[in-house]
Amino acid sequence: MGQKGFFTDTTVCIGCKACEVACKQWNQLPDDGFHFTGMSYDQTGALGASTWRHVAFVERPVPMPGVSTAIADFSWLMMSDVCKHCQRAGCLEACPTGAIIRTEFDTVYVQPDVCNGCGYCVAACPFGVVSRREDDGRAWKCTLCYDRLGEGLTPACAKACPTESIVYGDLDDLHARAEARVEALHARGLTEAYLYGKDAANQPGTGGLNAFFLLLDRPEVYNLPPDPVVPTMKARESWTAVAMGALGMAVAALGAVWLGKERRG
Amino acid sequence: MTRPQEPHETLLDVLQRKRDGRNVDPSMGVLSGEGAQQRVKTLERAPGVQPSGDGALLPPGAPSYYGLPAIKEPVWIASVPTYLYVGGVAGATSVLGFAAELIGGAWLRGLARRCVWVGMAGDMLSAGLLIHDLGRPERFLHMLRVFRPTSPMSIGSWVLAASGAFNTLALLVGHRGGWPGTVGRAAGAGAALLGLPLSGYTAVLLTNTAVPLWQSMHRSLPLFFMASATAASGSLLSLLPHPRHEAPVLRAFRVAGKVAEVATRIAVERDAARVPEVARPLREGLPGALWTASKVCAGAGLLLELLPRRTSGVATAANVLTSVSAVAARFAIFHAGKVSSRNPQATFQGQRQGLGAAEVTGHTVASDGKPLKFPLPVVR
Ligand code: SF4
Ligand code: SF4
Repeated sequence: MGQKGFFTDTTVCIGCKACEVACKQWNQLPDDGFHFTGMSYDQTGALGASTWRHVAFVERPVPMPGVSTAIADFSWLMMSDVCKHCQRAGCLEACPTGAIIRTEFDTVYVQPDVCNGCGYCVAACPFGVVSRREDDGRAWKCTLCYDRLGEGLTPACAKACPTESIVYGDLDDLHARAEARVEALHARGLTEAYLYGKDAANQPGTGGLNAFFLLLDRPEVYNLPPDPVVPTMKARESWTAVAMGALGMAVAALGAVWLGKERRG
Repeated sequence: MTRPQEPHETLLDVLQRKRDGRNVDPSMGVLSGEGAQQRVKTLERAPGVQPSGDGALLPPGAPSYYGLPAIKEPVWIASVPTYLYVGGVAGATSVLGFAAELIGGAWLRGLARRCVWVGMAGDMLSAGLLIHDLGRPERFLHMLRVFRPTSPMSIGSWVLAASGAFNTLALLVGHRGGWPGTVGRAAGAGAALLGLPLSGYTAVLLTNTAVPLWQSMHRSLPLFFMASATAASGSLLSLLPHPRHEAPVLRAFRVAGKVAEVATRIAVERDAARVPEVARPLREGLPGALWTASKVCAGAGLLLELLPRRTSGVATAANVLTSVSAVAARFAIFHAGKVSSRNPQATFQGQRQGLGAAEVTGHTVASDGKPLKFPLPVVR
């Protein structure tokens, strides 16, 4: 089995949305309606309960080395966003029903027959990925094509991507490939290129992402958090506070009874 | 604070919905994909069709993706903040009840028993409120399918279920003699022991999320919730009819809570104020108004308590004010958190200021390998 994941190289993405369509079709997800957002070519907006791949479009007023456009001072950023299948996944650590599990492929999977729609995973994901469909009542997100992996197939989005912007494979291979790509880009003058969420060293708050990205601008530009953290990392301090509060409350209760007795004489 | 506007449904949407938006003819294709069982009543709008507008007051150049939210807004409804109050009161009341049982003797038996009543009613009501909030309420028992120590909601479900069972047992047999009485009193002790986390874990439940405002209070909110629960429980018990000799006990309990509430509220505000964008919803809009109202009520409730001469009317007013303050504070924090989750700058700026993972791990570079703070001010 081994650790599987996605390497999404945004520098070769052409914004064709084949991944979005392939995902919808394979997973038989309902469409999102036809709406004009006015945000470049992005009519999807964000990941959601029935949108498990989302292509972001950014029009930047700066040129990109090695790329020529008809307009001076212009460059595209396009990124196919997806659930990151975090090493330390906020959704999984929050789920009280055990609906969210880590599979044999080291991916994060929501079991629809277990989820009771408590909505905790929605608030706990540092990337705003998993979400609850209100008319369904349950939480949904990318499964990293759990059904296809079981049959030895490539996930639908990676299979459909015509430029190999989305690469699926063993995490070790992906890391090697991604690092080689960054080096090549740096050599070509695209020194802004970096890997987002490759491992724990790069992103201590998540322990690294099984679906990581090659980006060209600050994470915020792609609507990615600059220093995401799995909320449970901060829970120890909160529980300590609860323990302190409990001590105080016990003292208050015992003290109040004792004081009342004293008053009575 | 403008929310993304719902566009009108187009004819295409209506046609699509009739066919559940999947374009699969069931007579020709099989619906067996991972998402095929997702129920569809209305087609989901592309989320965030309009920028949130929350960044309008920011220095230009603070980067974001069309101002869209960076995380998902919590889907919880008003029954959750209601539960934050009810559950807190139930927990604190169980604690006082057992203290009265333990060292109060026969003289405070009545108070102990009333506390068990209030605790049990609170536990039952809490369970109802929480089930009502589920997307699939009929699956509420799935909460007790596993125990997951990393999930405050899992811990809380077990605490609430056990506390309800203990309080019920204490109520049924606690007053009997012989071994049933012993069992009942042991159950009362169990309920008190669980009442302690019950009144405080709800704060961990909120802070253990990606919601910037809630996460920013992860050290202080539990203390605030527990102090406020103590004050609210004392006030509620004082509002209920009680014999005169119990009054000093109740007074001592609620005053302790009120004083601690004022102190811990300052800590909560200071935690939030570390990032201006994070703290903003506590000052603006409806959540801000609720928070201010809660502050005023808490202050008034404490002042009235300290008046040298207190008529029964003043005492009642103080108790009502404190109860209102406790409810308002929970609704304020709940809704302010929702507002902060819609504002991408609350997430981004907090993390750039070292309140993301850096707060725990102490690293100084962001995920792009550059220093967390932008080295140069953004000019335009
Ligand atoms: S990106 Fe969010 S939904 Fe996906 S695994 Fe990580 S925490 Fe879970
Ligand atoms: S909504 Fe479902 S998947 Fe998400 S935390 Fe609750 S039970 Fe788990």
